[in-house]
Amino acid sequence: MPNIKPPARRVTTYKIVQGIIGVVFAGYLIWRLFVVFIANPSYGPDTWARFAIAGLILGSVYALVAIGYTLVYGILRMINFAHGDIMMIGAFGGYFVFEALKSIPTPTLADPELTFLNAHPALSVIAAFIVGVSIAALSGYFLEKIAYRPLRGAPRLVPLISAIGASIFLENAAQLLFGAQRRDYANPVVLTRGEGWGIPIGGSNVILTYTGALTVVISTLLMIALYLLVMRTRLGRSMRAVSENKQVAALMGIDVDGVISRTFIISGALAGAAGVMWGIHLGLVYHFVGFIPGIKAFTAAVLGGIGNIPGAMMGGLFLGLVESMGPAVLGINFQLKDVIAFCILVLVLIFRPTGIMGEVLTEEKV
Amino acid sequence: MKIQLRHAVNAGVIFGIITIFLFLIGFTGTAADLFSDLFRNKNAASFLGLNPQMLNMLIFLGLIGVWAGAYGSRKSKSQTDDPWGAALIGGLTAGLVDGLLVSCLALLVGTLNLRGVRINVYLSEVLPDAIKLFLVGKSPLQGATVYFVWLTLTGLLGGLLSRGLGRGSWRARSGAAWNNILGKISQQSIVKQVRGSRNTRYVVYGILLLLVFLLPLRAGPYWNYTIGSVGIYVLLGLGLNIVVGLAGLLDLGYVAFFAIGAYTMALLTAPQPHHLMWSFWIALPIGVLLAALTGLLLGAPVLRMRGDYLAIVTLGFGEIIRILSKSDALTPFTGGPSGVKAIGFPTLFGKPFNSGVDFVYLIFLAVLLIIFVTNRLQNSRVGRAWEAMREDETVSRAMGINTLTQKLLAFAIGAAFAGLGGALFASRNVFTGPEDHNLMVSINVVAVVIVGGMGNIPGVIAGALVLKGLPEVLRQLQDYRVLVFGALLVVMMLWRPAGLIPSSRRKMEVGKDTGVIETPEGGRGK
Repeated sequence: MPNIKPPARRVTTYKIVQGIIGVVFAGYLIWRLFVVFIANPSYGPDTWARFAIAGLILGSVYALVAIGYTLVYGILRMINFAHGDIMMIGAFGGYFVFEALKSIPTPTLADPELTFLNAHPALSVIAAFIVGVSIAALSGYFLEKIAYRPLRGAPRLVPLISAIGASIFLENAAQLLFGAQRRDYANPVVLTRGEGWGIPIGGSNVILTYTGALTVVISTLLMIALYLLVMRTRLGRSMRAVSENKQVAALMGIDVDGVISRTFIISGALAGAAGVMWGIHLGLVYHFVGFIPGIKAFTAAVLGGIGNIPGAMMGGLFLGLVESMGPAVLGINFQLKDVIAFCILVLVLIFRPTGIMGEVLTEEKV
Repeated sequence: MKIQLRHAVNAGVIFGIITIFLFLIGFTGTAADLFSDLFRNKNAASFLGLNPQMLNMLIFLGLIGVWAGAYGSRKSKSQTDDPWGAALIGGLTAGLVDGLLVSCLALLVGTLNLRGVRINVYLSEVLPDAIKLFLVGKSPLQGATVYFVWLTLTGLLGGLLSRGLGRGSWRARSGAAWNNILGKISQQSIVKQVRGSRNTRYVVYGILLLLVFLLPLRAGPYWNYTIGSVGIYVLLGLGLNIVVGLAGLLDLGYVAFFAIGAYTMALLTAPQPHHLMWSFWIALPIGVLLAALTGLLLGAPVLRMRGDYLAIVTLGFGEIIRILSKSDALTPFTGGPSGVKAIGFPTLFGKPFNSGVDFVYLIFLAVLLIIFVTNRLQNSRVGRAWEAMREDETVSRAMGINTLTQKLLAFAIGAAFAGLGGALFASRNVFTGPEDHNLMVSINVVAVVIVGGMGNIPGVIAGALVLKGLPEVLRQLQDYRVLVFGALLVVMMLWRPAGLIPSSRRKMEVGKDTGVIETPEGGRGK
């Protein structure tokens, strides 16, 4: 029997460069961690707790948006470039609900100036979510129907360019409709930004804001609901089947176009919820509000392995944490926090293109 | 006889929503101004007892109504054997629905305005003046009636007009019509002559060149500036054309290389912040080389990944460059948010190139050089390798093409062209700052390449002329430029993914005859 040798592992220049970059980067990271925590601790535990809380809140929003990218990528193998703008539409939906409810007077004896927004804060927030989510879901549906469906089966570059066009169109339509100024989200008084429970850490009070807690709770609930939907329901099963293989799924009697439409509705709804939370927590809406979070959420989706739903959730949380702690750890200007996210994207693509949690789709399938 | 009205109603709803959207973004007023400039129909307006702007807005909305009627009737008429009746009723229904929606809007907006609600707090373009114009200076109810009647009538007219047109899907038909025009142009004896004989071709090129070179002498400073901008966009478009059109890599951070070229030129030749004051001719190649080098460095890790990652990574890279040039951390090095002033200009044989006309010529020279280089590249072994790689990476690798090297080469050459464009841009404007290098530049260039025709030099030039030059001519439309770019990208992909003037090779590949992609039912994209 001939002795079959395993093929020798080729050491390419790229691998050497990769190794060098990896060692340099890891070394720098360890050195910075050592400096920041041991040699010269410039921040106390309370500051780190603040960073962590801010990061988790931001991360839970990124996670919701990232799930939308991952769902669509899993099924259509395309980056839904306009996803961040759907989030912007959701944020505007919630904003207008709050503005409308603010103008309804519901005077009581104690407070003649009371508005509906402050009289029924829970109802108002629910209404804002319902409206924001439905508008975003509708936009997702029409986006797919107008800009992507006719291009099914075209070369890969074609739907991607269409998606970019749709994204530019939505941003500029919003700018022309609502103006370029930044608008303040009119939260109910109970949810005033910056107020919350004080947690004593390291001798000072770290505030967990009400809005932040709301964001984390709602996004956790939505993620659980989505996971159950994908894993336990008939729709979820057909979504998974379509993402495996469209033709076979169609032969099994699955309405492929319907499943794709519903996927866009679901991802739009999640982005809409993220948009309303973004508005409630951070307080500003404008036409460009979805752009940077959209790119970061995409980074989060790649980080978790695109097509992988739990991966997108983890990736979002991780990215939020890195973004809020990164500048302090690396000792760079806080203005450059957006740069960190992009650098992470490039680093992930260099070292582990399938993401931390592993990609659900293999290269052959794509 | 049973006519299905569903399509007509759909058409009415679609066009009604489009009309409402146009009003809400303030486009109806702009269109009215534009029409007033074009038609100069003051007398007709005063004869009808309207102010000219109102008349022109009604004309504009009427055109949309005609379109709605035509669209609605064509959709419904394919299902019956009574084309006249179907066309009439289809157009009428579409017009009715369209008119109903628009008159509802007029009623709503007018009533709110009368009640003193300031709508423009939320919808910034719906100013009281715009509402007055929209209601034709009448009460809300009267205004609504005007729209209802007017749009129904124009819808009917559209239905009648569409009777004369044939059947079939608009996508395939308009694509075929455009190809027909292109085909007819190429069938003309002159064009054939130009294509066939080398000498005639050179004569025609020579005349064109002469015209182009005489143009700046006649045009004023404003037009020279515009011509220069178009020229720089031709440069950028030709560079991106190599990356997107030939090699099939979507680069959304093209502005990063443009910025590197511009900042290299700025920092090396300006008195502030480094006081280097080098010559333009030294700074120019350094800028080009630096841009190419950055392209290589960015491309090396990313280009081995799937194509669509590249789009996002390059987009992120473009943003990084902008954030860095703006940030406080690099202010001592790049001048920060206030940018770099007093950038040097070139001198040639003792003659300073600092007037607008001189720069137009310089840009022309650069464009000619780039056209020459692109042309030679495209028809070389490298160009063929790029196109093979774009069509099928696996097969091209099997044919012995080192795809990574080729991709890197395309990326670096594209980056070098952008660097050249950026350096010229900075030197011409004497100033450069972070806001010169925002995302919009990348998007403009992508739009130029895609609208003009991917992988085709005349297409890119046409694209730059249309997208950069036309908005300068129609200045009223300036605000809507980017919106239209976005819509154009989608429409071009739906209608003619190969661009307005597709390259001959590309046309063969993308669509057999029409330039429209045949989508197999349920087929999976590669």
